[in-house]
Amino acid sequence: MSRRFEPAPAPEGSENDFRPADYRDPGWVQALAQRIERVAATLARPVKLMHICGTHEHEIGRFGLRDLLPDTVEVLAGPGCPVCVCDSTWIDLAIDLAAVDDVIVTSFGDMLAVPGGIPLGSEARGDVRMSLLDARARGGDVRAVTSVFDAARLAAEYPERQVVFFSVGFETTVVATAALLRRGAPPNFSIVEANYYTPPATHLLPTLPGFDVDGFLLPGHASAITGTAVYRHLPELGLACAVAGFEPVDILAAVLELLEQLVRGRPQLANRYARVVAPEGNRRALAELDEVFEPTTMRWRGVADIPESGYRLRPAYQHASARLRFPGIGEARDRGPDHPAGCRCADVTLGLVRPDACPLFGRRCTPDNPYGPCMVSHEGTCRAWHLYGTARGRLQVETAGGSAPLGPL
Amino acid sequence: MARYESIRLAHGSGGRLTAELIHDVFATIFDNAPLAALTDAAVLDNPGGRLAFATDSHAVKPWRFPGGDIGRLAVAGTVNDLVVMGAVPRYLSAAFILEEGFRLEDLEAVVRSMKRTADEAGVEVVTGDTKVVERGKGDGIFINTAGVGFVPSGRDVGPHRLTAGDVLLVNGTLGDHGLAVMAAREGLELGMTLKSDVAPLGSLVEALLAAAPDVHFMRDPTRGGLAAVTNEMAASRPFGVRVWDARVPLNRDVAELSEMLGIDPLLAANEGKLVVALPADQAEAALAALRGHELGREAAVIGDLVTQPAGMALVETPYGSRRVLEMPVEEQLPRIC
Repeated sequence: MSRRFEPAPAPEGSENDFRPADYRDPGWVQALAQRIERVAATLARPVKLMHICGTHEHEIGRFGLRDLLPDTVEVLAGPGCPVCVCDSTWIDLAIDLAAVDDVIVTSFGDMLAVPGGIPLGSEARGDVRMSLLDARARGGDVRAVTSVFDAARLAAEYPERQVVFFSVGFETTVVATAALLRRGAPPNFSIVEANYYTPPATHLLPTLPGFDVDGFLLPGHASAITGTAVYRHLPELGLACAVAGFEPVDILAAVLELLEQLVRGRPQLANRYARVVAPEGNRRALAELDEVFEPTTMRWRGVADIPESGYRLRPAYQHASARLRFPGIGEARDRGPDHPAGCRCADVTLGLVRPDACPLFGRRCTPDNPYGPCMVSHEGTCRAWHLYGTARGRLQVETAGGSAPLGPL
Repeated sequence: MARYESIRLAHGSGGRLTAELIHDVFATIFDNAPLAALTDAAVLDNPGGRLAFATDSHAVKPWRFPGGDIGRLAVAGTVNDLVVMGAVPRYLSAAFILEEGFRLEDLEAVVRSMKRTADEAGVEVVTGDTKVVERGKGDGIFINTAGVGFVPSGRDVGPHRLTAGDVLLVNGTLGDHGLAVMAAREGLELGMTLKSDVAPLGSLVEALLAAAPDVHFMRDPTRGGLAAVTNEMAASRPFGVRVWDARVPLNRDVAELSEMLGIDPLLAANEGKLVVALPADQAEAALAALRGHELGREAAVIGDLVTQPAGMALVETPYGSRRVLEMPVEEQLPRIC
């Protein structure tokens, strides 16, 4: 038997000596929280930090890490949840492909629940858009896979059918797709090219009116592919930066690093995930990626068209493009706007407004009846805010007669 | 029966093949007097007390999975619904919906598995039904079971008895069934030894109630897992449920696969687990009784009922931070990154 929090000895020596469970060690986490509190007390003003990775939000929520930060340190979720930034036209294309005879549409589980732009129609109360789960409920063959390789295996298993992989995600997932296509995929396999590239978005963010973030927690896994130099522009703009891993210790260590940079007044590009991220990135993966894909302008859902912020197949690999294999599918259809009328998910995602500034929040848009993607996704800022009543997620507990017989450990 | 290797539509038509199926498979394997009479309804002895009555339909893909099969699941599922109300389960019905082409030897294996599980649980399958649907209109085999049991006088277990200050226990590791079935369904070959916990819990409950007669509440955390049970417990009530994350027992492989897939074992299904709430002063006796039973070796105290926040379930981490434990909405799906 195991528990999610193995007790670990007090850490000493190089970080490479530790087992993964050490990065959840309560003593280490609490020591970091105390150091954060001491450093934050010396800040001239409250600060806002932004991460741009869905997995960061997932882990911050799951371990309740915002609870451990002082009131003067706010951590915002930026445009990093790949299913939130994926433009609705891609979702609609996948939905339409699922309606084609003999097509199996595959994607990651959390992509299946996100609504695109096609109205669900009379089945729904109000202005609700179709997701791939709705396409499945209408008879489409839609399946969750855990990687592109699972999708290719499915194609080999059903040679008489067409298997489409909805290739959504950032650098981490597109390199796997590139590796598969370079080695050769089954002829009945193709992809929806919804792959995004993070760094160009970080060029756009600081130019937006209302953007008042002081530092970035940079994505650990994506940086392991790209290397860290692609974020060099951020410290030059006065923004503190730290590449962060995904365990509680990793995340808090990166927050501490950002606060220390801000107190010193010298923003830098720090790497607090050195056990995984090399400054130059993964050259072999980048070379494979470059062989199969080329940069292209991508629309970030509700945000903007950002040049060179996505990948499309190079001509030599376009035989695997679902868009080209099924011409006419997904085109010229009645679609709504990216977000339902009044929805401010895009501004929330950019850190420009708080969720309670949205007129739909908590009224027409709730976790049980979500309108915008930020309320759908478990990593969505609106959803977290709605659940916890605040940005911070601090739940005050009272017990009956102070009789709690046992503590958390 | 040897004339056909697989189920034909005629096996469900009420004619000769139906009669053969009932006689050769169901009556022979389940082997009890009320069923052998082959009457339209089973007429049963009533040992007295209040009647508990439950039904559950079972569809699981794949129908055979590590640690069990749909037959064991169909018996244990309904039995456990009865025993968590404090009932002693006695009789089950079994209704089969079979897809044309389902192999007869597989059906026999499922029925034998039901019989073994029924024996283990001390119940008899005394009446049943079979329908056959055309190929492509079903998923091999679906089973509905309904069950009756009798609640001994003086027992009062149910949500109305829950109160702030109660302590929360489970009889062992969580998420085993959900993760084992997901791994089997998705063909995840990871060198892991995931196994469903599917088991009837009657004898465990009797041992628990003997040691801690003032148990307030029991529930089997099946679909939706601990998250669904704790949310149901707290909904519209003047207390909340607090779970201490670090105290929740997890099998190592379940913990690892959950991490890998980005899913939460607290939301995953269990088929041999019990969530118990009872007064704090009986927690130690209850824990000892559970751990003394082979289905409760890894029992643990995992939380309590708090006065605030009321109406919800929350998780407390070993860091002292807290998060909302949400009612699951959609099925759990592996995350992207």
